[in-house]
Amino acid sequence: MIFYTGPLVLGFLLGFILGTRIKTSPESKLKFDREVYAIVVIVSIIVAYFLGPFPYYKDGPFASGFVSAIVGIIIGKLTLGR
Amino acid sequence: MSIILKLFVFPISLIIICLGINTILGGHITPGGGFQGGAMIAGGLIFCIVVYGLKESPFKLSHNFLASLESAGALGFVILGLAGLFFSGFYLYNLGVDLYGIVPVAIQAIFNYPDPINAGIIPYLNYVVGIKVLVGLSAVVIAFLGSDEVHGENKQ
Repeated sequence: MIFYTGPLVLGFLLGFILGTRIKTSPESKLKFDREVYAIVVIVSIIVAYFLGPFPYYKDGPFASGFVSAIVGIIIGKLTLGR
Repeated sequence: MSIILKLFVFPISLIIICLGINTILGGHITPGGGFQGGAMIAGGLIFCIVVYGLKESPFKLSHNFLASLESAGALGFVILGLAGLFFSGFYLYNLGVDLYGIVPVAIQAIFNYPDPINAGIIPYLNYVVGIKVLVGLSAVVIAFLGSDEVHGENKQ
């Protein structure tokens, strides 16, 4: 299995930038707890599996850009999106 | 908006955003690209803003954030073009591929996108175009919703 750094790094970067913008306002009644993010991660792994890798990519059965984007969003939310 | 929409839209918009990022990253090898992926990401953001409203939306897109992101996209495109002009004499020359063989190997290695296809700077151009498009489309909706709120307050 070969890991191509291009989609992994760029997908993570854009996901991280957008993840840092996820902020819940204190007066809002909306609450998205960790369960919501866990479900999103599970669903996105399923979506990434059915999307499959790009043509000529041999980095496993998942869409690597998609997975790195969701990881970037979650990490961005956890680090700066509070 | 109904409670069902408010429950489902935020998680689904995250999936749409990831799909948009994946479309941008595969722009040089599959259908799609910077504009299409950026429009998909903007669609995810707009979905949230329309359903939750500007104040309650989980995505807090401030003016400064949008302006700096759009500037970064435009600057990235210009810098890639000028790099081609500087190293080869042609604006937007694909330094990573170097079809004419006029660029040093070290420069070619820097600008080549690391994936199995020898695409050079094309994925980077897709990326910066995607950033610009996502900001442009979402800024239009934010401006319309903001002006609507101001207008509504004035009417009352």
